[in-house]
Parts: sequence; structure tokens; C-alpha cells
Amino acid sequence: MGLAYRIATELVAAVGVGGLIGYGIDRWLETRPWCMIVFTLLGFAAGMLNIFRITRGYGYAAGYRAQDETKSGDNAP
Amino acid sequence: MAEAHNPLAQFEIKTLIPIHIGGVDASFTNSAAFMVASVVCVSALMILSVRSRALVPGRWQLLAELAYSFIAKMLTDTVGKEGRPYFPLVFSIFMFVLFGNMLGMLPYTFTYTSHLAVTFAMAAFVFVLVTVVAIAKHGMKFFSFFLPHGVPIAMAPLLIPIEIISYLSRPVSLSVRLFANMMAGHTLLKVLGGFVLPLGIFGVVPVLGLVAVSGLELLIAFLQAYIFTILTCIYINDAVHLH
Repeated sequence: MGLAYRIATELVAAVGVGGLIGYGIDRWLETRPWCMIVFTLLGFAAGMLNIFRITRGYGYAAGYRAQDETKSGDNAP
Repeated sequence: MAEAHNPLAQFEIKTLIPIHIGGVDASFTNSAAFMVASVVCVSALMILSVRSRALVPGRWQLLAELAYSFIAKMLTDTVGKEGRPYFPLVFSIFMFVLFGNMLGMLPYTFTYTSHLAVTFAMAAFVFVLVTVVAIAKHGMKFFSFFLPHGVPIAMAPLLIPIEIISYLSRPVSLSVRLFANMMAGHTLLKVLGGFVLPLGIFGVVPVLGLVAVSGLELLIAFLQAYIFTILTCIYINDAVHLH
């Protein structure tokens, strides 16, 4: 259940942040509505990327390398 | 609670002591009162329970030691040895969120974690701290974070914005998750409670539901504090190691 909540909020948050960035750029450059459309789509992509990372166990890191390397290094005394 | 049938009335901010500093409303509200209460509770638990310094811990000392070792283990498991300087921060966040959620489960109390302003302030603090730590530790290498390994350079204009949005969405998802869980749970309890009296003898059914949902809410109160804390640990790990 915790995982499901995480995935749902992750998608919503990324789309929201993308939309807000697009809206901000639109207001700044007066290019309404194009930036908002583009950045909402990018936000959707980012949300999907986050979900993919959570479900594959990559953690939240940007960058594709799995966390195992650092973890196994840490556990060594 | 006959005066407030609205399920959302419980989230209302009430000013207890009005304070205005230079046109900024800094009043002491019921939300602030419960934050103070939770800080007092945490401090009392941690200070009073370890006062005896018994080798064989009593009940309260055991509770405090369990909380300490729980967070210490979580931090070393996710970050490793380099995570030690961040222990006070992580422990404070965990206890603050946990006590906020748990105090909110008592009747007639106010749950400050059910307000986005509070959770977002905490998440934004963690986010800014983690970013500053990453830049301080790795300098300009921090920005290589936004371009994954082995990506053809032609993809960079598309991937960098996606990575930046993904990074910026962290504090939003962190805060929205805690706030939404608390808000939804308390609204559900209130809605179920509103059914009890109008149904008369059949009000037993929502009462049974209330008992079950209260148990679930206690679980969620702990779980959300745990998730908030472990995600803080994961972000610190990203900042410290920056793979």
C-alpha cells in the first residue's frame, strides 16, 4: 500500500511540477500556451521515469546506475 | 461534536494568540500549539526516559533506545558511514512527523501534518539542504547528475529537462504524500463518525468501521513518518554519493 501511494503521488507531483514550470516560462516569455503543453508532457515523462525507477529498485537517483554498487561498498567494514 | 458536522472543519486553523510583526501574520495558532506540544512530548520522552541511565533499561528507556537505534540503522543502511552527521536532522524529522501524526489520532486534537504548508516546508528544507550538500561536496560535478550515463548527446536536450523536472518533483511528492494521507484518513474518520447517530440502532455498523479504520490510521501514521524519513535518507545518500 505504501508503494502504491508513492507511485501515485510521484506521477501527480511530476506532472504538476512540469505544468507549473511551463506556466512560469509562459508568463515570462508570453508564449502561452506552448511551453505549458511541452513541459506538462515532459513532466509526465519524468513521472513515468520516477515510477520506473521505484519499481525497478533504482531508488530516486537521477542517473541510471543501480544503487547496489554504493551499497555493497558501504557495508564493507 | 454536534457543532461541526462538516468533515473538513477539523482542519481549520484557529488563531490562539494574534501576533503581527511588520504586517506579517505570525499568530500563534492551534497548529503551532500542537507543534509545540509534540516537541515537548519528544523532548520529555528522550530526556526523562534516559535519565536513570540503567544498564538494563526500563520500559520508557527501552522505547527511547528503540527509536534511536531504529533511525540509526535506517540511516546506516541507506547512506552508510558518511550519513552519521545527518543523524540529528533525520531523527528530529522522524520524531516530529511521528508525534504529529500520533497526537492527531487523539480525539479533539489537531493534526498539523494534514496541512500542505507544514509538510511542504519540511520537504523543501530537506530538498534545499540536500542540494546544498551535494554542490558543496561535489562542486560542478553535481550537474552531471542530470545527464544519465551512456546517453547519446543528441538525446540531451530532451533528457535534461526531464531529469530536472524529476529532481524538482521530489519535495512536491514527498510533502503531498504525507499531507494527502493524513488529510484523507482524518476526513474518512469524520465522515464515518457522521453516520453513527443518524442511523440509530444500525449505527453499530459505522462504529465497527470506525474501529477498523482507526487501527488502519494508526498504522498509516507510523508508515508515513517512516516513508518521509527513509526518503530523506535516500536523498541524503544521493547527495553524498552522487553516482
